[in-house]
Amino acid sequence: MANLRVMCKLLKNLNISNVKAHSIPSDRRYKNWGAQEVKSGRSWKKEELRLKSNSDLHKYVLLKERNMLLTMEEEAKAQIQLFPSPERIDKVEDSMENLESVIRERNVAYHKLETGRTGERPYKMSKNAFGLRYRHEMSEYTMPKHMNKDWYEEFRSYKHDRYTEQFLLKYREKSYVSKRRQQIRDFNHVIHLLNRFPDMDMQALKEQYPNVDIEKAKASRKYGGHFAPK
Amino acid sequence: MRITNFLFDKVGKWSKQFSNLPDRYIKRAMEQVYWRNPKGIQYKPNAVVKRKKYHFSVHRPWTGEFRQENSPGRLHPKVFVEPIKEWSFFRGDRVEILVGKDKGKQGIIKQIFQERNWVIVEGLNCKLKQIGDDKEFSGVYIQEEKPLLVTTDVKLVDPSDLTATTIEWRFTEDGDKVRVSTRTGRIIPIPASVEETIDYKTKATYLEQPKDTKADAVTEITFEPKLATFEMDIMEKMGIKDDRVPPKSFWY
Repeated sequence: MANLRVMCKLLKNLNISNVKAHSIPSDRRYKNWGAQEVKSGRSWKKEELRLKSNSDLHKYVLLKERNMLLTMEEEAKAQIQLFPSPERIDKVEDSMENLESVIRERNVAYHKLETGRTGERPYKMSKNAFGLRYRHEMSEYTMPKHMNKDWYEEFRSYKHDRYTEQFLLKYREKSYVSKRRQQIRDFNHVIHLLNRFPDMDMQALKEQYPNVDIEKAKASRKYGGHFAPK
Repeated sequence: MRITNFLFDKVGKWSKQFSNLPDRYIKRAMEQVYWRNPKGIQYKPNAVVKRKKYHFSVHRPWTGEFRQENSPGRLHPKVFVEPIKEWSFFRGDRVEILVGKDKGKQGIIKQIFQERNWVIVEGLNCKLKQIGDDKEFSGVYIQEEKPLLVTTDVKLVDPSDLTATTIEWRFTEDGDKVRVSTRTGRIIPIPASVEETIDYKTKATYLEQPKDTKADAVTEITFEPKLATFEMDIMEKMGIKDDRVPPKSFWY
């Protein structure tokens, strides 16, 4: 149980209700002003947030903390001062992300049990005006799709004609060429590594460059370097 | 995602372990974004122009020195880093130095730079550095430890006979992964200072900060399973009643 002491938190105790943002005494308000470093704990983990009730998660403590930190950062920028320990913002952001995912988990569990669906915002993969696939996040409308003129004007669906065909051909060529170049670069890099580190761990090399054929690299004329003939 | 590009900007686990900083912050601090495509209909919706290759040296990626070393437009000669299967050198390990003027001496690892396969051994492999010199004043010299390659320049020390040895990762009968000296077959224990960070020596001795949540409050279980969504539960707690039936709607 001693390890629990490290469950140090950036946040105030979640159980404290009625946290009053404006009731900070004036002597504490600028406590960290000019400090080089402000110590803080780690962010909340998902498994810890899963233990908390819905009303505990609905306290806006993290939001207030983030607003406070962002305001302090802006103020420090405006006054050309150092904003100490900027990683605090990221810790709060991480906690907020974890909190949201826990709430989503709970809602998805309810909806799956009751309706068999996730209850999340539906989406479908569709093609945009360039013929490229994208994730279309659906929206809720009062009228069906075929009656909705505005929607058709905004999301004019993809029409496969020779122009998109030409565009896609070039687009795919570009991505193919860049992948191919990367592969060649990796291949040459592996040859250099082989030349520089002859006693290298080959298993590690294979793991790091899985797309490179090492036998082929060793057959290259660049492999082996310069040496005087006997 | 290209594997190699990914490797170039990745900060090693053991390089950032001591700093106790969240990954999100490290990423944000070292990132150099020159252009981000605006939202809207784009043929490349999330295109970003940013620095892909970083030069790693003895400066930590979230520091100003690193930013200066990798300032926009500044390029460095290519560095070849030998791939290593598993990292085996940790903070607090006793190592023997195999090169340089401190060859044969043993010391304790102080810092790790995994991106370059480097370690810094406390007080050894030092060079004098002149600082603050100008026309009249010759400056002062300070001693600075230089990094050593883990592949060729240092070897772990076997605690049973205090001599350098090569190691191998093996499993004990209990299933623990341990470093074993290939010469004597003795286990080289991982030092306790592995878990040490800038904020605490060990997790058990962490000094609680005023804003930290108490450990009991974290582990307290207040969750009660209930057949309701988060919103339904909150509405019930706040006494909000809503019997309105939503009209028929269409999702597309």
